[in-house]
Amino acid sequence: MADFKVSSREQGQICIIDVGGYLDAHTASELEKEFEKLIEDGQYKVVVNFSDLNYISSAGLGVFMAYVETMREHGGDIKFTNLKEDVYSIFNLLGFPILYEFFDQEEDAIKKFNQ
Amino acid sequence: MLKLDIENSTQQRKLEYLVLSLIVLVLYKLFYPTIDGTIFSIVNDFLIYISVAFGFYYASEFTSKRLSNPISLVLNVGILTAILFFLTSLSSVLFDSFRDIEEVSGLGYTFISIVVSLIFISFTTYILSVIRELFFLRQKRPTEKYFNVMLVVITIASVSATLAYIFEDLKFVEKTFYVVSIVVIVVNSFRVSWIAFLTKKEKIFLLVLSSIMSVLFSLISVSLSETNIVEQVLFNFSTGVNVFIKLVMLYSNVYFGIVFITTLFHLPTAGAFDQKSEEVSSLIDLSKLMTQVLDFKELGDSITLATNNVCNSDSAWLVTEENGEHELVSVNNIGYIEADGITREILKEIELPINKLVTLNKKAVKVKVKEDSRTFMFHSLVIVPLKVHKKNNGYLFAVKRQKYYFDVDEKKALGAFADYAAVALENAKLIKESIYKERLESELDAARNIQSRILPDETPKCDELDVEALFVPAFEVGGDYYDFFKLDNNRLGFVIADVSGKGISASYIMAEVKGIFESLSRVISSPKELLIKANNILKNSLGKKDFVTAIYGVIDIKSGKVVFARAGHMPLLVCSGKDIKSLQPKGIGLGLDSSDLFNSNIDNMEFQLNNNDILILYTDGVTESQNSYNEDFGDERFYETIISNCEEELSVLTNKIFRKVSLFSKDKEQHDDITLVLFKWKNNNKMIGEV
Repeated sequence: MADFKVSSREQGQICIIDVGGYLDAHTASELEKEFEKLIEDGQYKVVVNFSDLNYISSAGLGVFMAYVETMREHGGDIKFTNLKEDVYSIFNLLGFPILYEFFDQEEDAIKKFNQ
Repeated sequence: MLKLDIENSTQQRKLEYLVLSLIVLVLYKLFYPTIDGTIFSIVNDFLIYISVAFGFYYASEFTSKRLSNPISLVLNVGILTAILFFLTSLSSVLFDSFRDIEEVSGLGYTFISIVVSLIFISFTTYILSVIRELFFLRQKRPTEKYFNVMLVVITIASVSATLAYIFEDLKFVEKTFYVVSIVVIVVNSFRVSWIAFLTKKEKIFLLVLSSIMSVLFSLISVSLSETNIVEQVLFNFSTGVNVFIKLVMLYSNVYFGIVFITTLFHLPTAGAFDQKSEEVSSLIDLSKLMTQVLDFKELGDSITLATNNVCNSDSAWLVTEENGEHELVSVNNIGYIEADGITREILKEIELPINKLVTLNKKAVKVKVKEDSRTFMFHSLVIVPLKVHKKNNGYLFAVKRQKYYFDVDEKKALGAFADYAAVALENAKLIKESIYKERLESELDAARNIQSRILPDETPKCDELDVEALFVPAFEVGGDYYDFFKLDNNRLGFVIADVSGKGISASYIMAEVKGIFESLSRVISSPKELLIKANNILKNSLGKKDFVTAIYGVIDIKSGKVVFARAGHMPLLVCSGKDIKSLQPKGIGLGLDSSDLFNSNIDNMEFQLNNNDILILYTDGVTESQNSYNEDFGDERFYETIISNCEEELSVLTNKIFRKVSLFSKDKEQHDDITLVLFKWKNNNKMIGEV
């Protein structure tokens, strides 16, 4: 299986998680760890940048579902940006754009948070 | 059992021969107390030699059985020596009272002479037998011929003494062989390698014993070489045996003298030698353990215990490493909490990973553990990585509290030991993993079993509608589900669903989903309403990360009208002639949202089938099948396959699609279930009309 990469950086009050590669049942736990860390630090405003992500499976989607409630309860959210077309189509098929906010560019998501 | 019998019987026979020869000898001696005449003395000595030979063989029966404990053999010899010395000294004292031996003749003298001589001969034989066993003990090369040569030379010396007594001219032969014997004896006295393998305690005991013995033997040898009463008695008894005894006494004297000196030189290194053998036996114990211990914890305890033995450390503990995380597995002679704290402090300071043994002893190692007021002081601390195939599985810690450092040998031993321990731990881990894997596989079997029972056994049969279904489960059971519900004579309900996740948990959700659709399909006719209801039920029962995508629809068999709704599932395809339409009404996956958002974002979609139109339902296992370049099978290939085979029988089309997909992804493991459900509608009304 191809690799999965995850890293996070901070921009003001907002945390940006960069994901890359293949997000599936085997790599989902790495992303989970990243979210656990954010919650521990009290960081609830999250932008996930998908610019390097090539594939997402149902287990990968499950990670966002698992943490979005916690983020929203604390006045934060998870916003999705820079998705490749086929990755977006997976989200779209499932109706995610109704439940989550998707943006073309990272800055747009940050702007939305700062409003 | 049989072998034992044979051994016993040969031993018995040896004893019989010995007793027989002794009886003959004693009788002969009683009849002919003094030796006069050639024949008599030759017969006399011959009888004695025979007895000695039998005695020697019989004695070796005993001595060879006690080889495992050479000290007890030496002690036996020591006791015999003491008795012999007592006899010789006693007779020297008595020498004054019997000024003239010739006076003490007659039956009394004969009797005493026989008893004294036999004691000497038997003891000497036994001593020779013991030395023979010690001689061969721990010898790596065949040295038998040296000893045998010595025996032959001693025998010749004895026989020639007998002959010299009869023929005065042969005196020089006796002298020559006597000297040769002494040379051979000295040469043969250096076989003392068994001493090295004794423990320190045994060596000290042997040192004392051999010093006493060599003194006693030399005193006996000296008194036998003088004209002593015992010497006289022996000489009168048999001249040859007299020489034999003298030579054996000399041999014993030299041999135990060398034993004494060797032991003396071995003594300073005895402690180190003991430790070495302790190390070796620890390694042997561990390698035995490797094949036996299945329990990780038990193995860890054995390793830490053995570590203290191997390198003379005071405390030892074992830490395993997995994915960069350390876990304390076992401690020996140190508290669990202390060891854990110390490990964390030390590993924090040292640059990981450690590739070879690390020693910390800058005068003393002081460790301060967080949330603990104590400071831990060690004089020396060693950390050894436990490596197998260049992969680090953990660290072994050993510390000395007293004012000693680990020396080079101890570190070497610990290093070698750690290699064994690493392999043993790896084995235990692999066994644990294979047990886990077996359990996982049986779980997957259970999941497959559930899945196969949930899916319909056969597709519905009716004139107007061909129905084909294909289901290919992945190794790690996915959560695909499809079903058909006969709602009334004209209407057929159908569902296809994909549960997120895999394995047994997915198959349980699948069972729940089946129950929901089976019951709801009977009471709710609108697909949209049915999915809304299903979402309400599932949202409460699914875990946070789980969701289900589904399409539910109803097809009117007579009219060809289809109504369906979609909850996040792959689109429904309709192939009409050479044209494919992908129908994707809006809809969120089941279990993603509990409330209004789901309800307000789902729609029914209605359409009319034409004659020979094909309706295709599928799961993402079809389009997301990958080839070795990580490319998806994708919509395009899928549509193309359908279009180019749409005029075939429905079963043929299904097979063609599956063959295309499996051919495409032949180099990669199928990691999700593949499900296809196809309907082909035939407009019977129209056909009748045309005809």
